[in-house]
Amino acid sequence: MNKQKSEMSRANIFSAIKAAAPTTSMDVNTIQNEALEILGESEFARPALLAEDAAEALTLRIEAGLVIGTSCEKIASLDQLPDSVNQFLAKYALPAELKVQEIERLKALNWQGITTEVDIKNDNTVGLCWAEYGIAETGTFVVHSGPDMPILLNFLPLYLLAVIPKSKILPYMDDYALIAGEIARKGGTPRNMCLISGVSGTTDIEGVLIQGAHGPEVLHIVIIEDQ
Amino acid sequence: MQANKPENFYQNVKDALAQPDLKMIIRRTTDKAEAKRAEAIANFPGFENARKQGQKVKDHTIKYMDHYLAEFEKNALAQGTIIHWASTAEEASKIVLDICRQHEAKKVTRSKSMLGEEIGLSHALDNSGIERVETDLAEHIIQLAGDPPSHIVWPAMHRSREDVIKLFREYHKDPTYSEEIIDLVRSARRDLRTKFLTADIGISGSNFLLADSGSSCTVTNEGNAELTITPPKVHIVTAGIEKLVPSMAHAVPLLRLLTRSATGGEITQYITFHNGPKRQNDADGPEECHIVLVDNGRTKMLADGMEEMLRCIRCGACMNHCVVYKHIGGHAYGSVYPGPMGSVLTPHLNSLEVANKQTHACTLNGRCEEVCPVNIPLPKLLRSLRAQSWDKKYEPLTNRFVVKAFAALAKRPKLFQLVSSCGVIFMRLCSRQGWIKSMPLAGGWTRNRDLIEPESKTFMQQYKAMKKAKSDGA
Ligand code: SF4
Repeated sequence: MNKQKSEMSRANIFSAIKAAAPTTSMDVNTIQNEALEILGESEFARPALLAEDAAEALTLRIEAGLVIGTSCEKIASLDQLPDSVNQFLAKYALPAELKVQEIERLKALNWQGITTEVDIKNDNTVGLCWAEYGIAETGTFVVHSGPDMPILLNFLPLYLLAVIPKSKILPYMDDYALIAGEIARKGGTPRNMCLISGVSGTTDIEGVLIQGAHGPEVLHIVIIEDQ
Repeated sequence: MQANKPENFYQNVKDALAQPDLKMIIRRTTDKAEAKRAEAIANFPGFENARKQGQKVKDHTIKYMDHYLAEFEKNALAQGTIIHWASTAEEASKIVLDICRQHEAKKVTRSKSMLGEEIGLSHALDNSGIERVETDLAEHIIQLAGDPPSHIVWPAMHRSREDVIKLFREYHKDPTYSEEIIDLVRSARRDLRTKFLTADIGISGSNFLLADSGSSCTVTNEGNAELTITPPKVHIVTAGIEKLVPSMAHAVPLLRLLTRSATGGEITQYITFHNGPKRQNDADGPEECHIVLVDNGRTKMLADGMEEMLRCIRCGACMNHCVVYKHIGGHAYGSVYPGPMGSVLTPHLNSLEVANKQTHACTLNGRCEEVCPVNIPLPKLLRSLRAQSWDKKYEPLTNRFVVKAFAALAKRPKLFQLVSSCGVIFMRLCSRQGWIKSMPLAGGWTRNRDLIEPESKTFMQQYKAMKKAKSDGA
C-alpha cells in the first residue's frame, strides 16, 4: 500500500517537473558538459590560501585561530606521536589514557605506558584518529567510516587528536570533492565521509560561542611530515 | 507557546510589537550575524564570483531536475538506501511514522531540519506517542519550551538565558545550578548524551543531495547530526527535492556561500556525507537507511514561474537583514519559514489565500536580494505574489477600495494635488512639536511609533515654487 502510494507520488513528481520545465529532454552528454563547465569557475570563486604549500597553509590557518578550538603541530615521523600525545595529556592535566583508533600503524607504536583503550561512551575521554585527508582552505581533516574507523570516535570524546599525513593535505575543498567523485564512480563510497573543521560549538544561548556542545571541546592536529 | 497561524498575520504582528523586549532580543542575534557576514565577505574577494557560480549550480540542477532526481535515486538505491517519494507534507510525515512503527521505535533523535518542521514531523511524532528528542541545542531549548522555531538558523533566538536556566532546571535529570552559559551547555550535553546512545531511530534533514553518489549531506556546528544518525539502527532522511546538486564538487561553492551568509563563519565545523546503511564490517553506523524525497509545493513553484526560489539554501541572511523581520520576529509570520524567503515560500507550501498578507510585509528596500548568496530576486517574487493575490481578490475590501481610490486620484493630477494639500494641512493639525503621535486612519503606524510632521507644502507646490523662483531669477 505504502509502496504503491510512494510510486504514485514519484510518477506525479516526475510528470509535474516535465510539464513545468519542458527543456529537460536533452541528452546526458549535454547535461554533463554544462555541469562541468560550472566547475571550471571554481578557480575564481574561492578564497586565497595563507601559503602556497597546502600543509603550510593548513598550519597557518590553525595557528591564526581561524579553526575553532584547534591547535596543531608537525612531527617528523610517526614514532614521535606518543611523545606528542603525552605532551597533550599533560597540557590538559589528563590521565594517561585515551582511545586510539584500531589501525595497525597506530597500535604498533610504543605507547610508553599510556592506556590506548577506553570506553568513549563515557564523557571526558580523549580520542586519537588517523585522517584520510586534510584540507588547507578550511583547516579540515577528513575521515571515512570503515571497519577500523568508528565515526563516533570523532564525536564522543571531549578531547580529540587527529593525525594527518602531510602528503594527504589538499589545497581546496574542490580537490577533495574530485577524489570523492572518483570514489563514487568506482562504487566504493564509504557510509560516511566527514569533513571536520574545528570542535563541536554552539552559539544558541545569547549568541555566546561555547565549545564542546556535544562532541570535542579541544582538537589537536598532528601533521606527520614523512608520510 | 502556541504556534501562530499565517492567516492571523495582522494580529500576530500586533502581539509581537506589543512585546517590549522582543526587538532587542532579535537584534542581539541578527545584528551580530549581519556584522559577521559583512566581515566574512570582505575577507573573501571571490565572493561575487562564488555567488554567480552557486546560482549556476542551482539553476542547472533545477533545469534538469528530473534527470538528477532519477540519477540520485539510482545511486542511492545502489548504496542500499530505501527511497520514498511524498507529494505532500502529510504523506511525508506518514512515511516517517510508518517506518518508526515498523521498527517499534520508542525513542527517536532528530537533528535540526527545516523540512522536518515543514512537514509537521514534530507534531506527528508527539501525537504518535514516540519520544522525540531534538538534539540541536536550540531545538532542544524550544522543544522544552514548547515553542515553534523563530528563525531558520537560530530557532531559539527569542529565548533569553534566564528562560534557558528555568527550562533546564525543570527538565534536565542532572541540571546545573550555575547561571554561566558554559554550564548550561554542559547540562544539555549530559542530558542528551545518553539519549543519543539509546535512540531507536535517528532522523535528519539534508542540506544537499548528491546525484552522482546518492549521498545526503548534513551541515552543523554542534556535531549533533552525526551523533543522531550513527548510533541508532535506522537512519531516516527527509529532504525537499530542490536539495539536489550534481556532485560533491557542485556542493562545494554552495558550502562556501552557506556558512558565510548564515553565521559569518568560513565553514561549519561538521560537514558529513551519508551514503546508505553501514557496510558489512563497519565499526558503527545504522543498519537501515531511508530517504524521503518531498515535493510539497516545489513542482508547483516550478510550474508557477517561481523556480528562482528553489535556489534557496536556507542560510537565513535575508531575514537577518530584513527591517520587517527585525521588528516583528519570526513567530509573527505564522509559518516555519519567516522573513522574506518565508513570505515567498509559505504561499506555496500553504496557500496564497492564507498567506497573502505576509507578501505585503515588505518595504521592497531590496536588502534581502542584495545579501542572498544565490541571487534570489525576493522583491520581484513578492511583487508577483502581490499581483496574484490582487487578481484572485484575496485582498480585504478596504485595501482594494483604498488602492482603487488612489488609482482614480493618481490619474487626475488636479484633484490629486488638491487632496494631497488637504492631507498635508490635516496632518499638520494633528502634529505636536514636529511629530504626530496619533491621527485618525493612521493607528497602524502611530500605535508603535510617531510619524514625522510633513513639510507645510506638498511636493508639487514646492517644486512649482522652486521653478518659479528660478525663472524669476533668470
Ligand atoms: S532566500 Fe537567499 S538569503 Fe534567504 S535563506 Fe534562502 S538563500 Fe538565504
